[in-house]
Amino acid sequence: MGSHGSAVAVPPGRLAVPSPPRPPDLLRRMTTPLRRTPGRFTAILAGVVVLGLLTGVVAFVGVRQRADLVRGVTARSGELAVAAQSLYRALSDADATAASAFLSNGLEPPALRDRYQRDLADAASALTVVSAAISDDSRGAAAVARITARLPVYSGLVETARTYNRQGLPLGVAYLQEASGLMRDELLPAAQELYGTASTELDEARDRAAGFPWVAVLLAVLTLAALVLTQVHLTRRTNRLLNVGLLVGTGATILLVAWLTGSALVAAGNLRDSRDEGSAQVNLLAEARIAGLQARADEALTLVARGNGTAFEENYGVVMEQLAGADGSGGLLARAREAAPDDTTRQAVEAAIARSKEWSAAHRNVRTLDDSGEYAKAVAATVGTGEQTTAAIFNQFDEALALAITHNGDRFEREAVSAGRALTGVDIGIVGLSLVLLVGAAVGMQRRIVEYR
Amino acid sequence: MRHQHLAGRLLAGVLVVVATVGLAGCGTDDQALPDNQIGADPPRPVGMQDPAVIPTGPAASSGSCNPRASLRPSGALPRPRQMPSGTAMAKIVQRGRLIVGVDQNNYQFGFRDPLTGQLTGFDVDIAREIARGLFGDPGRIQFRAISSADRITVVKDGTVDMVVRTMTMNCERWQEVNFSTEYFTAGQRVLVTRGSGVQAIDDLRGKKVCAAAGSTSIRNIAEKGTVPVSVVNWTDCLVLLQQNQVVAVSTDDSILVGLAAQDPNTEVVGPRFSDEPYGVAISRESPELVQFVNGVLAKIRSDGTWTRLYTRWLTSLGPAPAPPVARYRD
Repeated sequence: MGSHGSAVAVPPGRLAVPSPPRPPDLLRRMTTPLRRTPGRFTAILAGVVVLGLLTGVVAFVGVRQRADLVRGVTARSGELAVAAQSLYRALSDADATAASAFLSNGLEPPALRDRYQRDLADAASALTVVSAAISDDSRGAAAVARITARLPVYSGLVETARTYNRQGLPLGVAYLQEASGLMRDELLPAAQELYGTASTELDEARDRAAGFPWVAVLLAVLTLAALVLTQVHLTRRTNRLLNVGLLVGTGATILLVAWLTGSALVAAGNLRDSRDEGSAQVNLLAEARIAGLQARADEALTLVARGNGTAFEENYGVVMEQLAGADGSGGLLARAREAAPDDTTRQAVEAAIARSKEWSAAHRNVRTLDDSGEYAKAVAATVGTGEQTTAAIFNQFDEALALAITHNGDRFEREAVSAGRALTGVDIGIVGLSLVLLVGAAVGMQRRIVEYR
Repeated sequence: MRHQHLAGRLLAGVLVVVATVGLAGCGTDDQALPDNQIGADPPRPVGMQDPAVIPTGPAASSGSCNPRASLRPSGALPRPRQMPSGTAMAKIVQRGRLIVGVDQNNYQFGFRDPLTGQLTGFDVDIAREIARGLFGDPGRIQFRAISSADRITVVKDGTVDMVVRTMTMNCERWQEVNFSTEYFTAGQRVLVTRGSGVQAIDDLRGKKVCAAAGSTSIRNIAEKGTVPVSVVNWTDCLVLLQQNQVVAVSTDDSILVGLAAQDPNTEVVGPRFSDEPYGVAISRESPELVQFVNGVLAKIRSDGTWTRLYTRWLTSLGPAPAPPVARYRD
């Protein structure tokens, strides 16, 4: 220490040279203070402070953005996906219900009428949510516009069909088929596209939210390295082993790295679970439920068409195969059972599989009756009140899947909320730790610098 | 002094970075509203084709035979339930019911009464009269709703005893099945909105006219210079007419009468420009059943039943004409 005592500050006279210096001269003069120990210490302090500040700011902004993204996953993308799915389901249900209601000789059962109106109301409210949440430039926005424009046309056709049906005119059937065609050719594809867009947006939001904060962690590690090197340097220059300020700063930096990494990993884990055990399940189950609704609509429309329903019956076969496979134990339902994350889901899906098998058997009975001219009995077996009607079986099927969807939707929400919780307080912690780091480094270095004065 | 300068500059740099990052987070949202123009096209019935595909292939040959000529009844009608043994009628009586293939989609000819769910209409009532002749009871009958394409198959394979389903008798079909005498004379006409000023098919040159896909009606209206639009079911044509997507519907008046009956704002106009004699199709293996049915038809022509049925179902075509005259081969 004593040996360095002679090398104090730069003589003031040399700083005041008036003539414009040549470049090498300037460089030399600018770096001269750094070659002296206190100047070097000051520069090191400045470097550490800048690094620490940068780390704090980047980590803070990063965590705030990440918390916003996680909140977006639940509050915006999650809600959007739920609303889009609800819209798709409500429209499919309206199609199936309108056709079933039509079978009952002009006077539709009040329960079916209520269900149809409930579907339209659900679709409208889901549509308002979706149109508020979907990004303006996405393909989803065009789908929203198409659905908004065509839904009133659809309901108008259904009401016209209903009016003619109450008068006992076959024209009602033609209007119902036109309505169903509009639903299947325009509304449902748009709703499906919308659901796809919403699911993609959710996945993207989740990926962004689950990304690792590389820059912040890298900066923090650099700060840490700088602090360690500073201490090594100081120890060599001053023969003092410990510098409390720098040690505290180092500790704060280690904590900061650990907290930043840990919170990011936990949040990413929760988000991954929210997809694998939540929304991926919901997607699969919703797909199965909508396939069921379409098969139900086809079943009813085959009878409504009175002998001209071959196309609907063929479509019923196609959709049922997607739903339950060619032998009744494959398809979407089998996939949902394999992927079921817990017992509640598995039991619900197994119930749905059992119902789908009963349904297929009951449907064959309906077709046999209708094909042998027993139209009234076929209708009774389809929309009647008994336990063995396809209506009763279908309703149990639909309810089982609805239960599983709600259950997995809750799961998604829980995991996404946990992800948000993992990040709670991290921003404030970063500010605190950064302050400790800066103050520790500044105090620690300042002591040494002062010793040279 | 010098060190403070350095630190100050560095601090300023950091502040600039912070400010930039912060501002990027809250960019102003001054985007224009989305411009989603949606067409206001009317909805289309499933399977509608505009313009329609005109069916190719030869037109139904008319020359080689007289499609109206059937088998003359032998003597007086047997009394109900007392059919000559060994005949097709005796088998039907033994079975206890007559099985008839009918339409369930042709309003006024063969359709389900929406209130009762029962099949009814002009064709159905003709079939009931045949059941009355066999059993003395028009209710001893079982209907099979069949599609137009299945009419010949179900007669040939014995699924039904006979088909009464707006079936035009022509020489090609005579090769496959036997027909009774003519019980209704249909012909292609035009259905338009009341007050449209259209008097006949010739007024529709260059206008959109609807007919069912693959039908001979499509070919006929294309030949008349209209723009054919095709649909899957005939009722879809009325939907298109009501939605102003076509100016007219043109096909056999037996179908038009069912459409006109569902919308009082439409009317069937113009003369017939095709000739479609309808007969009951029966298997070639039981000519005695053809003779029996011809006997029943002769009875209902003469005792006023035919006129009563026409008046019940077909007044949209105007007042009942005289029944079609029975023609026989000998």
